[in-house]
Amino acid sequence: MNIYICVGSSCHLKGSYNIINLMKEALEKNSLSDKVNVSAAFCLGRCTDGVTIKVDDEIITGVSPDNFNDIFDKYVLKGNL
Amino acid sequence: MNNLWTDTGYVSINKNGEQLCGDKVEIIGTADDCLTLVLADGLGSGVKANILSTLTSKILCTMIDAGMSIEDCVDTIVKTLPVCQVRKVAYSTFTIIHIEHNDTARIIQFDNPNVIFLRDGKSVDYPIVSRMIGDKTVLESTVSLQLDDTFIAMSDGAIYAGVGKTLNFGWQRENIVDFSEAIFDWSMSAKTISTMIVDECNSLYEGEPGDDTTIACVKIKKRNPVNLMIGPPSDPKDVNMMMNLFFSKEGAKIVCGGTTSTLAAQFLGKPVNTSIDYCDPEIPPIAYVEGIDLVTEGVITISRVVEYAKAYLSSNDISAPWANRKDGAAQIAQMLFEKATDINFFVGKAINPAHQNPNLPINFGIKIRLIQELAECLEKMGKHIKVSYF
Repeated sequence: MNIYICVGSSCHLKGSYNIINLMKEALEKNSLSDKVNVSAAFCLGRCTDGVTIKVDDEIITGVSPDNFNDIFDKYVLKGNL
Repeated sequence: MNNLWTDTGYVSINKNGEQLCGDKVEIIGTADDCLTLVLADGLGSGVKANILSTLTSKILCTMIDAGMSIEDCVDTIVKTLPVCQVRKVAYSTFTIIHIEHNDTARIIQFDNPNVIFLRDGKSVDYPIVSRMIGDKTVLESTVSLQLDDTFIAMSDGAIYAGVGKTLNFGWQRENIVDFSEAIFDWSMSAKTISTMIVDECNSLYEGEPGDDTTIACVKIKKRNPVNLMIGPPSDPKDVNMMMNLFFSKEGAKIVCGGTTSTLAAQFLGKPVNTSIDYCDPEIPPIAYVEGIDLVTEGVITISRVVEYAKAYLSSNDISAPWANRKDGAAQIAQMLFEKATDINFFVGKAINPAHQNPNLPINFGIKIRLIQELAECLEKMGKHIKVSYF
């Protein structure tokens, strides 16, 4: 599985840095670090609703530390099962 | 015009407790043909010294640049400088370095420590002719220049560094020669050399300089163009034209901005590999595209570069926080401040609707203003700047 986290200007200002760290932690906690590739991406084209991430081909917008766990469960864990 | 470039840089630190520096460096004509640099050190310290050195450097620089003789210059200074009420003299030492066509240097010195001349990184003696003008002994030299030739001028604060503190006799000229040879590296800018020497003086003084201390450096470099593109063109039809012009330019290429780098990568037919490493949590990570030397985010990165540029231009800054960092802004600063001599900006005027959100500090006007500010700063560093809008 490939996950891209947008680090373009808008998403950066909305907290990409935190989302990257949360993502790395969450993958580690679930022992998925070697099964999932996390990369940064330059502008996924959804600047108005950042932070934007892409899980394989699916784009998810509006990711924040508040909803991170739900999104992680819904898209990453479920996708992995 | 030959392929050479005269790079200049200087740094001063004030005598402990003084708000004004009694040393002054003046530079005129950071262009192709002629360049004049004057370092003056006024008698005493504080306000008086500052006035003496400011007058001396300004008068000398203007007159020498206009091609007037050194006799006339000295005569003007003697008749102009205000006489100190306490000491009953009007006095300021000076060093003049005048470069013509980047191939000949004329050095005129009066009572400052002698200029250090480095060729291929080693100190070399140069012929000095001594001449009396009025009651003053002035030293004159002419040197034919080669690539990487470096002149280091200093005020006497440098050679007194550490007297009575860390050293018995101060940091003498031969010690400064050894130090300059040891740090010399062809890629270093004149400003970096000055900064490193002044920094060493400051630590010998244990952070409390006993005198105003100034190093001014002139270095002959090879011209090195760098091209920086930021923002897509306002009309999407112009993307190919803009990319064609940009990639046909000689020299290193920097692309700033997410959309812009995506377009550039499409033009080159290469993928964008974005790094996930936040070297600095405030600056978005850089990316890699084959064929582009540096790919960064846009406005946030550039606004940090502008901050670095302003600090770099202040003559008292010896920190240069960007010099050793790896984030995008620091890497741009290294390329533009240290290496580049001619910089071409390709600025696209497309408006990113997402950036017009009033809650975001990155709207369109800010981008254009940042580039203008950066261009002004780089011009003050003596670089040739061309800004094209698309």
